Amino acid sequence: MTWSDVITKVSADNQREVDRVLENFPYIVDMANHLREQKLEVIGNFDKYIRKTMESVERVRGHAYMAKNKEEARRIVGEIVGEKKTVVFAKTNVAYEIGLRDYLKNMNNEVWETDLGEFLVQITKGWPTHIVEPALDLTALEAAKAVHELDHSINEKSSIDEIVAAVRKFLMSKYIKADFGITGANAVAADSGSVALVENEGNIRMDTVLPQNHIAITGIDKIVPTMRDAMDEVMVQAAYAGIFPPTYVNVTTGPSSTADIEMKRVSPATGPKNFNLVLIDDGRMEASQNEEMKEALLCIKCGRCYFSCPVYRIMGKEWVNTRSPYNGPTGVMWNYLTNKDPWPAEYCMHSGGCREVCPMKINIPEIIKNIKFIASNL
Amino acid sequence: MNEENIKKQVGIIKSVLYKNLMENYVPFQIDRDIASRWAKPLNVPRGGKTILYTSFMYQMGSLFKSYEKYIPTFGSLGSSRIISSIGSKLIRAKSEDIQRAGKILSNIYNILRRYDPDLGYLYEDEPYSGALLYEMGFLEEFNNYGRKLMEFFKKKGVERIITVDPHTTNSLNNMKKSIGFSIPFVSYLNVIQDVRGEGKFVFHDSCLYSRFLGMYNDIRATIKNTGVVLVEDPTVTGIGNGFCCGAPVGPVDSRLSDRIAQSRADNLKTLNENILVACPLCYANLSPFGHVVDIAEVIS
Repeated sequence: MTWSDVITKVSADNQREVDRVLENFPYIVDMANHLREQKLEVIGNFDKYIRKTMESVERVRGHAYMAKNKEEARRIVGEIVGEKKTVVFAKTNVAYEIGLRDYLKNMNNEVWETDLGEFLVQITKGWPTHIVEPALDLTALEAAKAVHELDHSINEKSSIDEIVAAVRKFLMSKYIKADFGITGANAVAADSGSVALVENEGNIRMDTVLPQNHIAITGIDKIVPTMRDAMDEVMVQAAYAGIFPPTYVNVTTGPSSTADIEMKRVSPATGPKNFNLVLIDDGRMEASQNEEMKEALLCIKCGRCYFSCPVYRIMGKEWVNTRSPYNGPTGVMWNYLTNKDPWPAEYCMHSGGCREVCPMKINIPEIIKNIKFIASNL
Repeated sequence: MNEENIKKQVGIIKSVLYKNLMENYVPFQIDRDIASRWAKPLNVPRGGKTILYTSFMYQMGSLFKSYEKYIPTFGSLGSSRIISSIGSKLIRAKSEDIQRAGKILSNIYNILRRYDPDLGYLYEDEPYSGALLYEMGFLEEFNNYGRKLMEFFKKKGVERIITVDPHTTNSLNNMKKSIGFSIPFVSYLNVIQDVRGEGKFVFHDSCLYSRFLGMYNDIRATIKNTGVVLVEDPTVTGIGNGFCCGAPVGPVDSRLSDRIAQSRADNLKTLNENILVACPLCYANLSPFGHVVDIAEVIS
């Protein structure tokens, strides 16, 4: 299949699937509307909610860190992980944003992506094509060739089922020996200090339970006031990504613990003994203080706007450069927000579908117009 | 994407476009007599309180693409030579394009005359709306030109404007928001009633009409009331999944613009071979890749 065939099919499938989900689960729209209000509350009061989140994490015996920028975030995670460890990554865009995988690898750690798509991107030395489906542009043949390097039983004639099974077997050996699981977060509840993650493969569940140390790294934009809001964000993200109901929802609140003996809370129990939350600013705070940019922070990274965009549908990952894991319309906003790079905005042709399909009702064309204005005055 | 090329091209477009507009009220040289000739046989009143405002869009539709091809060439010249080179570059529209534009504008005028016999037209004095400034993100220049445009219309005694294309309508709408453009305006598609038409088409929405001016449903109702049949599929013509013809990216990357046009035309043709548009730039971009007609070519 060509890129054009793939993107046309995937875009139409997403439209049909989201329509079906919203028809069968109409409360999702109310959840999305409420979530928008709750996220605006946090964006307007970042200091308060960052403080509250960090206090909540410490209260449940986790460790919370706040990083101003990419460099500081890498350093914090690097100090926690150290050297000569095995690290399994769940798909995390913030890790891409700060260049964490390469950083840890350069510290002499063995690092593996565990989301299938992200794993394929890693072993092909590629770059994510889509925020939810990173290997969208990879054919089965290309995937087979890449996996063959790790498992010689896979060849050009292998079926997709066989390729997936081979990766599953390979990664299982990594989960077992992993010292650290690094995830992102779909949402972080300020009131409970819980990290909520949604997935279908089961890799996040492995990453957050099998290794004895869990590090969640995410932007401050993922903070929501309450646990209820965190669950809303997870459900809304899954629904608008067109994958609903999700197979797994993972909630992590501190390290594993038990109170089964005389009601005395003891940690660790079976799961990880350490839980670390690393929050990162990297341009988000500045955006929150800019009336023309702050709505970008509402993005829940469902990736739906990509499909509505004519530029993305033609250029794919070639549009926004490889300094940013964020592509498509939201990527134009987020690449500016995190890299101060306004130039991809010049390709925006105000098609406007991005605003129509956005569950958070972000006026993406208006924000991009303002980024264009910035570019034209440089 | 090639950032260096884009930086260069955006700078060129900004300086040339703004200079031309502030000096001549048009983005590039056009033959205003030819562009306004359609109105003479109809004896359209010159000026008036209510005017039909073409903004030269139907007349220039194909010319935008012709000028776009030159922008990378200008990028290799020094800045002073760019202005003079573009100034001397008068690309003439093809006679069939001028004839087609004349037919469309005549038809729109004839329909509108039923509701307002005094409807006027500014002929060769007509200015361009400045839409390109806004769409390229040259917001300060857009506001400056908007003030000049409003002053121009007021001096001409214009009290109401009827637009014929989405870019002009959207431009005036944005001037209303940003500088208080105070002359009332309306798209002809929101004025016409009791119009007949025929044919079966897939409708390619103008992004500006349907997703920025809130006309997605209204425009369909207008078309369907004429008797024209529209074939719909939410994955192709839905408000969220229908997408641009590619024209607006032309000044920055004409090749990308063409690739998007082909993709969109292919997408539309899965529903019907006959594509209906409501915008002269959509026509110019999509017509190399399919059979495209404008609404004003199928109604009367």
